[in-house]
Amino acid sequence: MWYALRDILAEAWPRYRARTARLRPHEFWGVQDISFELRRGEALAIVGANGAGKSTLLKLLNGLIKPDGGSIHIRGQVGALIELGVGLDPVLSGRENVFIRAALLGFSREQVLPLFAQIEEFAGLGSALDMPIQFYSSGMVARLAYAVAVHLRPDILLVDEVLAVGDMDFQRKCINHMLAYLASGGSVVLVSHNPYHVQAVCQQGVLLERGRLTFAGTGLETLDKYYDQQQQLLAARNAQAGGSVPLVIEELTFESLTTSTIVTDDTVQMHLTYRAQAPQANIGWAFYIWTNDGLTCVTGGVNLAPSHLAPGRHQLSCTVERLPLTAGQYLVKAAIFELQSQQPLALLGWEDAPVPLVVQGELTLEKSFQSMIQQLVTLPISWHN
Amino acid sequence: MREIIYNSSSPLADLRAFGQTVGHDIRAVLRVGRQLFVRNLRVQYRQSVLGYLWLLAPPLFLALTWTLLSKANLLQGRQPTVPLPLFVLTGIFLWQGFVEMLNSPLQQLTAVRATLAKVRVPHEAFVVAAVGVVVFNLLVRLLVLGGVMWWYDVGWHVTLLWVPVGLAALLGLGLGLGWVIALFGLLYSDVANALTLLINMWFLITPVVYVVPSRYASVLSLNPVTPLLTTTRNWLLTGVAHPTPGFWPVVGLAGASVALGWLAYRLAQPHLIARF
Repeated sequence: MWYALRDILAEAWPRYRARTARLRPHEFWGVQDISFELRRGEALAIVGANGAGKSTLLKLLNGLIKPDGGSIHIRGQVGALIELGVGLDPVLSGRENVFIRAALLGFSREQVLPLFAQIEEFAGLGSALDMPIQFYSSGMVARLAYAVAVHLRPDILLVDEVLAVGDMDFQRKCINHMLAYLASGGSVVLVSHNPYHVQAVCQQGVLLERGRLTFAGTGLETLDKYYDQQQQLLAARNAQAGGSVPLVIEELTFESLTTSTIVTDDTVQMHLTYRAQAPQANIGWAFYIWTNDGLTCVTGGVNLAPSHLAPGRHQLSCTVERLPLTAGQYLVKAAIFELQSQQPLALLGWEDAPVPLVVQGELTLEKSFQSMIQQLVTLPISWHN
Repeated sequence: MREIIYNSSSPLADLRAFGQTVGHDIRAVLRVGRQLFVRNLRVQYRQSVLGYLWLLAPPLFLALTWTLLSKANLLQGRQPTVPLPLFVLTGIFLWQGFVEMLNSPLQQLTAVRATLAKVRVPHEAFVVAAVGVVVFNLLVRLLVLGGVMWWYDVGWHVTLLWVPVGLAALLGLGLGLGWVIALFGLLYSDVANALTLLINMWFLITPVVYVVPSRYASVLSLNPVTPLLTTTRNWLLTGVAHPTPGFWPVVGLAGASVALGWLAYRLAQPHLIARF
């Protein structure tokens, strides 16, 4: 804690500060050697595991803390949506809090009044706007805070994983609003692990790992890279903990029995690799296929016939006779559970990264229609005319 | 469009740019501070039955206790030239103003710690709002004091015109020390605990409820609150225009402490947030 006093004293001694920053005992770099440029109308996704330095980077961009080296150049006013509840007074009504929140972002009551109707409409809280916000759900707080922040039209918007608390309808509304904001020349820095948010908003992405930039690409490429890393980490952790965890799902793979890639209506074999410490009887297992945004479960399968798990590393397999998915990217989650109690014994993709499944498409008229209306599954139909 | 550059150099390295930033921030501080002040007044006693009575109840009970102790001759010393209850009540109201100001930067900034860590807002705005509330509370108490002075038939003196100077110095000293206390208090939680203890001791060595004993006058005058409190009380009650020794140097000290305390906090701000 003495470092704080020394740092503060150094501020009063400008020449002392000019020295190159170096680590002192028990310190580490929160963010190091990161360089990127974001122009008007562009959105950047910042992706990384907990402790990777995402929030520290946002704090630096927001001017809350100072870099120990290097510099940040920002043109325009920065608006931040870092934690939605902060700055709101629980005893005051939503209406009163709109003005308080705006004041904290540097706007006077007179500047907010002409925008109030838009904020009220966007938040969609109805009569709850006159209720003290201590009675609001987290989703309602999110609506209010987001509505205030975006209607004050900052030049750069920093968003830190805050949309997750809102319902689907609100999330969609926010995404549409962000797209309109980008089209009108705003810039967005988005911290999110939600593929739908990243895909919809961000053209660019950077992956942070222990404070360093390890990958830069498009938003989706960055997310794929992150999921890959998570899978590798999980596999390494499982391998390491082999002696202590009773049952783990190590891998989930798919292979087409007819072609080299998986296509619509293909016969696909699925292999779930598990490692068990002891034999387990009376076991069920299941897999579920989700849309790439992780929001909708398209289909899945549950094997309720009692299975037996042998100790060691083995596989459970099944064949999907006709995969009804249209061309696109999907996410697959799997579970092994105890049949009688239905308690999960091992999970994959639920609290960690799900497994991506790519269904390739062919260039046909039917596929074009499917893609155009974002159709997810196909039906076996016999047309009678 | 103005370009903002964040780097590791001290803001004092470029005094002109520092002055421009401060000038820009002053407008924001006043604008945000005014709204937060109104908010603070609204929520201060929102879920309370007795509401604004709580502004007066604690000092009134404290004054009553000390008056009874004095009347029971438990406190030895010189008697004031004005009625004892009025003397004690005035001292306690002034002391209360000083203490509230001393405490307010740390209290306010601690209460909004989470906000400061996430939202870029001038910290001074919260302190300005707190200063507003302390001044408001003091004015309400002075109104009540006016009623009590009328009750005891204390004459109105020309020295009343000087009272705002005394009050400003008293509150200024509290604010200047409050900035420094906030700086350390946000880093070390020991400060908040020690402050309560210190204020209780400080109360006893300040002539709030007793007249300065001539034997200890030179020692007690080392306490910077003594000349400010006794002079302001004299201007309010007795009409003695000549300030107590040490008054003007302490006024200068109060002004300097506000400026230096603020500057120290301003320089410390990013390092405090990094440790929130």
